Amino acid sequence: MSSGELFGHLTFAVLLFLLLPVARLSPAYRIVLVLTALALAFLPVKGLSLGDYTRSYTDDLAITTLTWLVWSVLARTTGRARTASRHHFQLAVFFGAMALVLYPATLGMTSLDPYRLGFSPLPLLAVMWLACLWLWWQKNHLAIILMCAATFAWLLSVKVSDNYWDYLIDPVLGIYCLGYLLGRAVQARKARVRTAGDAVPL
Amino acid sequence: MYPFIKQCIPVAQLALVCALFGYGLWHAKAPHVAPFAVTDAQETLPAEPPSFASYFASSTFHRHVHSSSISPLPDGGLIAAWFAGSREGASDVNIRAARFDPQTQSWGQEFNLISRETTEHLLQRNIRKLGNPVIALAPDNRLWLFYVSVSLGGWAGSAINTMYSDDNGDNWSEPRRLITSPFFNISTLVRNPPVFHQDGSIGLPVYHEFLGKFAEYLYLDSKGQIIDKFRISSGDHSLQPSIVPLDADSAVALLRNAGMSHGKVLASFTSDRGETWSDHVAVAPWNPNSAVAAVSEGDVDGGILVALNDLQDGRFRLALYHTDETLESWRSVAVMDESPSGEERVEMEPYMATLQASYMDVALEQRETPAHLEELENELRARACRHGLTCEFKYEYPTLIRAPNGFFHMVYSWNNTLIKHVVFNRAWVEGKS
Repeated sequence: MSSGELFGHLTFAVLLFLLLPVARLSPAYRIVLVLTALALAFLPVKGLSLGDYTRSYTDDLAITTLTWLVWSVLARTTGRARTASRHHFQLAVFFGAMALVLYPATLGMTSLDPYRLGFSPLPLLAVMWLACLWLWWQKNHLAIILMCAATFAWLLSVKVSDNYWDYLIDPVLGIYCLGYLLGRAVQARKARVRTAGDAVPL
Repeated sequence: MYPFIKQCIPVAQLALVCALFGYGLWHAKAPHVAPFAVTDAQETLPAEPPSFASYFASSTFHRHVHSSSISPLPDGGLIAAWFAGSREGASDVNIRAARFDPQTQSWGQEFNLISRETTEHLLQRNIRKLGNPVIALAPDNRLWLFYVSVSLGGWAGSAINTMYSDDNGDNWSEPRRLITSPFFNISTLVRNPPVFHQDGSIGLPVYHEFLGKFAEYLYLDSKGQIIDKFRISSGDHSLQPSIVPLDADSAVALLRNAGMSHGKVLASFTSDRGETWSDHVAVAPWNPNSAVAAVSEGDVDGGILVALNDLQDGRFRLALYHTDETLESWRSVAVMDESPSGEERVEMEPYMATLQASYMDVALEQRETPAHLEELENELRARACRHGLTCEFKYEYPTLIRAPNGFFHMVYSWNNTLIKHVVFNRAWVEGKS
């Protein structure tokens, strides 16, 4: 089994588990559920497994996404390793900004192609190193784990792609982060409106 | 002990970050693009008579036959590849191929080079359809096949796969996906053959058609790993670059104009081995949003041969032009195929008569009995005449190469029913002036 196939099956299992309502289950049952989801990923349908179908449509997810998903599964299973809201917000800003820089330009909305920087990524690595140092200063442990996992995997050429961007971000992560930021902005606006309403004397 | 370990964690994290990124920066290589591999130009015409011949490379009738590519083989033969199936984008479309035997001067029976099912099985991912193939022989005699596949949606959802053969196409490697886009790896297609650089690296002209329609130059090493990628054009109306190296550092890309209507062929130039390209400009011939093929004539004057539909609308005439490396002076060399009435659609009776005669000419030139005449008529009636009494001529998607012996080979879609192959030499081109 290639690394891409392995990641496809892992993606199916962790996404399925994270979508299930498990609040009332004990940690032991949650672990059983994770293992069941992993077994389901290998279920063949018309010659391909469900994990293969997942990677057909999501393509191979970035190492950061996979690591974050596995981290979330651990947090959900054990009830530990939860991420502070501030750190979650930092991650959403970091990857959301990356998505905004990368996707519109690469898909042809500008004449610049930032994806190119990932093939010989000296400047990109330098920027990511500085970003990592800032995240370390912010004590964002999850961010450090994600970035180190991505860079280590790129050095080992774990994925089919040799492009550093493909280890850092994928559209699923980009859409999630931008959606999260949008949700936060809507919530903050609602809170402001509510506060302003409360302040108005009757 | 525990508080001490807790205090050490940030220091360990910092050390890990510095070590990994430091090693990454040391490990990352600066890109280097090798000079183009250009063959020595011929100062004078070789002493040979004008030569021209035509064949059909495909030998089986499918409802839709399209997008052919051709490559020389080390033994002096040729191999052509195209896609064929019940219709463009259908799940039964396969990549088909045939070989030209230099001894008998004839095409062998066509065969399946790779199918959608095989691609799906070997890549272990769902594949909905296959598209354009490109076949090319590298300087190290490795035969490369690049072909388009789609998992989701239309052609905008395309990805490129590659296979190679080290024994003239008898045995092939498993297909491998090229990762060319960060957005689900979609929207990259291939159409025209690659050019090669002096170190064996490969310059593959590709194009995108999702949010924009633009061309790129994919730079791969001799093993097929992507080294870099360069934009040839931007915007939403340039596709299917055909690259012609002019010398070790410079090349020209001719582009299909995918603008709204009445466009001209587009061109872009590089003088740094493909790293940067000039803004594309329109050149003289019309281009009705159809594929263009170009190849160096191999003379000291930097002559270029270009095959295209020199029409404002329709694809009912395929012509060969000669131009210089500035693309300022254009000369019509010959019309390869055209509708006899000068119109795209004609009535069924003259249409059938024209195509039967045209088919017989080639078949007789191939010294073959035109046994499939009735089958051909049925196929044409079903595909090209389906809207009633008039039928449509289509001569399109040319691929033009120059073989090591100096002969030019062109393959193109002959009414999307057969793949036609024409071969000619420089003396024939000069004789047409």
